[in-house]
Amino acid sequence: MFGFIISRLLQAIVVIFAMSIIVFVGVYAIGNPIDVMIDPAATAEIRDNLIRQYGLDQPLWRQYLSFIGNVAQGDLGRSMVYNTSVTGLVFSRLPATLELVLVAIGIATLIGIPAGLYAGYRPNSFSAKAIMALSILGFSVPTFWIGMLLIMGFAVHLGWLPSGGRGDEGRFLGISTSLATANGWSHVILPAINLSLFKMGLMIRLTRAGMVEAMQTDYVKFARAQGLPDRQIVFQHVLRNISIPVVTVFGLELGSTLAFAVVTESVFNWPGVGKLIIDSILQLDRPVMVTYLILVVILFVIINFTIDVVYARLDPRVRLGGTK
Amino acid sequence: MPKSALRTGIAVIALLAAAPAAFSQDLTLGLRAGPDSIDPHWSTLGSQAEALRHIFDTLVDADDTLQLQPGLAVSWEPIEETVWEFKLREGVTFHDGTPFTAEDVKFSIERIPGVTGPMSMTLYTKYVDTVEVIDDYTVHVHTRGIAPALPNDFTRMFIVPSEIGEGVGNEEFNSGEAAIGTGPYRFVSWQPKGDLVLERYEDHWRGETPWERVVRKEIPDDAARVAALRSGAVDLINYVPASDFMSMDNNPQIDTFTADSVYILNVQPSVKDEVPQPIRVNGRVIDENPLQDLRVRKALDLAINRDVLVNVVLEGLGTPANQLMPEGFFGYTDEIGEKEYDIDQARELLTDAGYPDGFEIDFTCTNNRVPGDAVICEALAQMWSRLGLKVNAQALDGTVFFPAAANEEYTMAMSAWGTLTGEAAYTYGAMVHSKDPEKGFGNFNRTGYSNPEFDDVFVAGTQTLDVDERRALYEEASRIAMEDRALIPTVILQTVWAGKADTLTFTPRVDQETRAYEIHPVDAE
Repeated sequence: MFGFIISRLLQAIVVIFAMSIIVFVGVYAIGNPIDVMIDPAATAEIRDNLIRQYGLDQPLWRQYLSFIGNVAQGDLGRSMVYNTSVTGLVFSRLPATLELVLVAIGIATLIGIPAGLYAGYRPNSFSAKAIMALSILGFSVPTFWIGMLLIMGFAVHLGWLPSGGRGDEGRFLGISTSLATANGWSHVILPAINLSLFKMGLMIRLTRAGMVEAMQTDYVKFARAQGLPDRQIVFQHVLRNISIPVVTVFGLELGSTLAFAVVTESVFNWPGVGKLIIDSILQLDRPVMVTYLILVVILFVIINFTIDVVYARLDPRVRLGGTK
Repeated sequence: MPKSALRTGIAVIALLAAAPAAFSQDLTLGLRAGPDSIDPHWSTLGSQAEALRHIFDTLVDADDTLQLQPGLAVSWEPIEETVWEFKLREGVTFHDGTPFTAEDVKFSIERIPGVTGPMSMTLYTKYVDTVEVIDDYTVHVHTRGIAPALPNDFTRMFIVPSEIGEGVGNEEFNSGEAAIGTGPYRFVSWQPKGDLVLERYEDHWRGETPWERVVRKEIPDDAARVAALRSGAVDLINYVPASDFMSMDNNPQIDTFTADSVYILNVQPSVKDEVPQPIRVNGRVIDENPLQDLRVRKALDLAINRDVLVNVVLEGLGTPANQLMPEGFFGYTDEIGEKEYDIDQARELLTDAGYPDGFEIDFTCTNNRVPGDAVICEALAQMWSRLGLKVNAQALDGTVFFPAAANEEYTMAMSAWGTLTGEAAYTYGAMVHSKDPEKGFGNFNRTGYSNPEFDDVFVAGTQTLDVDERRALYEEASRIAMEDRALIPTVILQTVWAGKADTLTFTPRVDQETRAYEIHPVDAE
């Protein structure tokens, strides 16, 4: 276990370094942020001063080294647009995204997995076919379009739910979250459904495929021969065996949704990190772009690590030591 | 769960959500962009000035067509060649009760270089040498050289109280601790890219504003902003997209407000000896630059059908442009008539210039900076292909376009330019005057255009304090630049606002600002 953590840590450091170089070079190649931000009437003197002030006249490698130097001292930089620390900025928006993603993943899992199990258990029934048809809709119809439909239906025509934004925050177990108020829930429900549809489709298909395959296997036949009820076979044996691909996809989806829920966040004007990063890219706010992408890499490393640990719980044959 | 219980549940949630919007003296605005900071000296961004104008006042104000109006200063005049005297308004108090005096003006101006960011506010103080306090209500601004446009620069120069002291920056302003102005609203709270909440300041010198509480919601996504209005979550939205304008115009529940903006889409033909992207005739790269020939530039101009651009491409949301700023601006000349569309004459000019078969040229534009830039780009390429040119049109994101444009990498480009100060010096000094870093002119002159006659007339204007003489010189400069086709203006873009029908009245502004204190409720009873 210990060796596993060490090797994972080393891998993570290499990945983060490689990522920081790629991001830095990519951002550098786009161009000079001052030319995007500066007021048209500024004189060349003002422009040159600014370029010097932000160190943009330095060669790429020196800019990179000074960035790395600052990071080593725990300073991830200040946003050029907001003049506040990048970490503060990202973490002030993170709770909103976390809420949205947790509710969305919750909906996707709670509906997707049972629906997939059923569709795999009775693959020829009418309702199984209906579930599969809906799941195709779930991941083939563009998110922003479904988002607009939800808004038009529930906010504009029916007027039941707000069209966007985040609701009032309340305190729950000492954490400030909009999930603690009814108003907060009324705001989160539409974007969460919107965000969950793709994942739900994915969950349904993965679970069904695993289920159909598992139902043909010998252990299920033996279990049946032994006289075990189907309920017990499905939930105690099959579910556990088909969990590995589901957990893998669940983890990756969790990461990518946290990092890039941007379409839903834009359509529903949800004040999360996805919107922050898109705004930063449009304004070439370099410190925010670089730091955010590096934080995303760290996030993925953590999620993958957690998934590996979960694998070991699900399947005793997986050994974390990595030997053999 | 039974169906009825589910329905009740949703209805309860909906009621809870709708409840806070019920107060009649509240105004909720859905806006495309907001401030980046509450420090009024951080950035020159338009949406920053628009938002902070509610909390802070400027010495000089601008009316809805950008002509100057008294603000915290009641009058101003040059008393010597390099000294402007500002007489300040008496009896004005900051939100914390301290009186506004000349010291605050001096403090505000001197504070800028230390606290401003990448969109540097030093732009507005570049002519200021020193600020001298004569008495509590008189300030003398000593300028570097003659500065006739100083009052225009001061229309975005916000005044903060001197007692906040030096060393306060974005943190103190964003938390509200230092967000003390003389403006019509007090600061309540703000989240970056979120809501700015404001509360009426009863003792404002302009008199009470109609709204007790104003929430400026930032909703950058066009579709989301429109949905927020349709669902009743906001009272008024700005920058209504052209695609929604038609349906809203016919919707009895929604009022629309339309006005010309300061933004004009200009074609910028490079007239340098060597063009950055090659020009081809019959597939072969040519050495000379056809755009240097005035006849070619005239042909390009004549081949543009501006009526089609406005009525078909922009669906009516524009006005044909015949010069670099809208009518009524300081320096707009009446001597240039409406632009004509004459494809035959254009072909003749092109033949005279030695290009009977046309040429192949790259044409690069922005695709997201202003409404319609990408479609106008494509339409222009088609219009020029009728002239016999082969135009490779490309519309790029602003983050890619602007740095490359600054490096002068485009042979022919198009982007929007707004004469934000309402007078010609802003535009001509930046885009038309020869590039001259020492004098600070021509920073945005990417075409290499340089006409000594224009430069002389324009510079003479910037050195003239007399208003009428200066106006005449700028008008002459407009005529020269347009005869030369230094830049080819195409259309003035229009801006659309939309609000709940019969709830409010609002006079749209040419600078596109949405000012809560200029919006009035319609009395229902």
